[in-house]
Amino acid sequence: MSSLLHVDLSKGRVRKAPTPPCLISNYLGGNGLAVRLFLESMGPSLDAFHPENILVISPGLFNGILVNTAGKVAFLSKSPLSGTIAESIMGGCIGSELKQAGLDAVVIKGKCSNPSIVSIDNDEVTILDGRSYWGEFSRETTEAVQRDLGDCIVASIGPAGENLVRFASIDCEDRQAGRGGLGAVMGSKNLKAIAVRGDKDIQISQPERLEALDLHWQKIMVNSAAFVEDVKYGTGEFLDWLNKERGVFPTKNWQESVFDDRRQIDPYYWAPKYVSKCKGCVACTKTCGKLFLIQCGPYAGTAVDGVEYETLYSLGGECGNPDIEAVARANELCDQYGMDTISAGVVIGFAMELVQRGILKEQEIGADCRFGDGASVVKMVELIGRRKGMGRLLGEGVQRASEAIGKGSDHYAMHVRGMEPPAYDVRGMRSMALSLMTSPRGADHLRSGAYALDLTGKMWKFSTDRLTNDDKGRMVKELEDFMIVYDSLGVCKFSRKFFWLEAFPDLLDACFGMKVTEANLLLVGERVSNLKQLFNLRSGWTKEAGYLPKRVRKDPIKEGVSEGAVVSDEDMHIMLDDYMRSRDWDEGGVPKKSKLRELGIEDL
Amino acid sequence: MTKCIVPYPENCTGCRSCELICTLHHEKLSNRRKARIRIVKSGVKVDIPVVCSQCTACGDACCLNVCPEEAISLSGEAVIVNEERCTGCGACERSCPFGVIRVFGTAKKCDLCSGDPVCVKFCPYGAIRYEEPKPEQYQKVAEMLEALK
Repeated sequence: MSSLLHVDLSKGRVRKAPTPPCLISNYLGGNGLAVRLFLESMGPSLDAFHPENILVISPGLFNGILVNTAGKVAFLSKSPLSGTIAESIMGGCIGSELKQAGLDAVVIKGKCSNPSIVSIDNDEVTILDGRSYWGEFSRETTEAVQRDLGDCIVASIGPAGENLVRFASIDCEDRQAGRGGLGAVMGSKNLKAIAVRGDKDIQISQPERLEALDLHWQKIMVNSAAFVEDVKYGTGEFLDWLNKERGVFPTKNWQESVFDDRRQIDPYYWAPKYVSKCKGCVACTKTCGKLFLIQCGPYAGTAVDGVEYETLYSLGGECGNPDIEAVARANELCDQYGMDTISAGVVIGFAMELVQRGILKEQEIGADCRFGDGASVVKMVELIGRRKGMGRLLGEGVQRASEAIGKGSDHYAMHVRGMEPPAYDVRGMRSMALSLMTSPRGADHLRSGAYALDLTGKMWKFSTDRLTNDDKGRMVKELEDFMIVYDSLGVCKFSRKFFWLEAFPDLLDACFGMKVTEANLLLVGERVSNLKQLFNLRSGWTKEAGYLPKRVRKDPIKEGVSEGAVVSDEDMHIMLDDYMRSRDWDEGGVPKKSKLRELGIEDL
Repeated sequence: MTKCIVPYPENCTGCRSCELICTLHHEKLSNRRKARIRIVKSGVKVDIPVVCSQCTACGDACCLNVCPEEAISLSGEAVIVNEERCTGCGACERSCPFGVIRVFGTAKKCDLCSGDPVCVKFCPYGAIRYEEPKPEQYQKVAEMLEALK
């Protein structure tokens, strides 16, 4: 019988209860279960740094079992950045380990009086003194905890989380729960790390069938074109194409949309030169991770799992930085300080534009801060991680920083709901433009994954023209629900073009004897989407706070194949209205009673 | 010709799929800690597949020599455990320099899946290969493990 674990750090109390079976059938696990548990225990009006803020760690339903690419675990809390739900899905082994400890989720609240760690060793849960780890980088923290506790899987924060950088991340095995500032939530609780060891058996309903399914999907994945691309070049494989053929690679804080100096940050250049092997999340043999090593030069000794596409943008193009070694070093520092590379890069790009425009001076910042200068990026990451100089302010994220700076800097503050945007210039990608606004956590590409739809024109059951508003509401709604299925099962979203939803009924039956249809799964997605919205509304969510950044609405793309593209206020409203209608929400985003009844959540 | 599982840590991605498929295949359940192959990780750089075959390759199987019940024997290419004879005393586990024979009730170790190892089938990176023994690869793994101590 698997359980839910509740840890109250303030009272030093631990409670375990069997997981009600209806929670699994209605919410699966991972993201879905986390949202459900969060909603029942979190006071929506509390600040993200309030001790009673809840942090949920919830393994995907398939975690701990071999289902191809299903090693993803959900972290969820209230975001210090957006003030809405913060959810981040990570590929470190802690999800699998929790499942082997017999746990479906861990719900953490309260605050330790001193730096501490939580140790979960099968049934034994203890809160231990963590003062000796405080101040350490992520990797060193993991090593030290493993030295002290023995064989275990560790999720930890670095100095940025301790310093309450609002976009601090949580690290596990060099994979991050990156977005939304979950690391700062841990820091605010004086919780440096969570160590898990589990060696319980996970029973499989039909093991022979599962093994056959695993081998079947393995063969399909390994023989696909995507496999070859992922293995050779990682997630940035299409970077050059996206610049040349789509013209939507945000550059220099979104002043440009084609990065002319992209030669070095293109994986076709750097992968053969710096990558020594592939790195995989647990249970994934379709590895997009790369071990990137720098042997000589100013950044000699750099070793990082990356560089992923988003980071090639944020610490590369966004900062006009053409130097791949500086990108890799800044990436490693972000991981070590425990910061989201996307937000960190956009904050730095923002500061660089303010310097370019004379709104800020480099002396005020405390470091060089110039577009195109790799060394500036590296230094700025450290400044923010340590919260020194202007890093004190920039660690608050672009929205708060621009409010403090004033002087018209809000025009250059790229964010939606306080969260910095990912690597797609949405002026030329309307489905993504809408997705940034509807994402529960603020500007984000992974709630809908609609970038694939915009860029290729076809995805799943949809086809689209990326430059029109047509039908975007319905497509984004469906894609969001679809992605929640992945995040709840713990399956990597990069597998969606293999599995769609078709694969899951068989896999769920083989693993757990669970009988579901694709429609059941989509309904789970819709249920969870509505729960997220209910929480966000109660915590002060407004439609207006989710409007696109000014630059996206006012300044058309200046060059390349998407020249002239912009999302006007009118476009924005057309798409948002379409979305609300598709969701059966009113114009202000409030779900209709009938919808909640249909989803069985009217009492929540 | 003798074949065994040869580890190539320089290719290992650290994904642990081999551990998971091994337990599923042999134990009909999931528990990576019961796998007959294990991945030792350290930091971002080191992922080492550790699996029995070193001894069969060098011909000096400690576990086979120390077993008081004579429950461990060489069968074709693999050192295998006769689970009916095994009392679970743990002498083999203590003797194994690589920690790849472990006692869960009875001793469990790699039996090469009767000549078609499922872990090898599942690794597309060539981090574990079913081939002629390569002493230099075993040596490399031994040195990497030593360096972590």
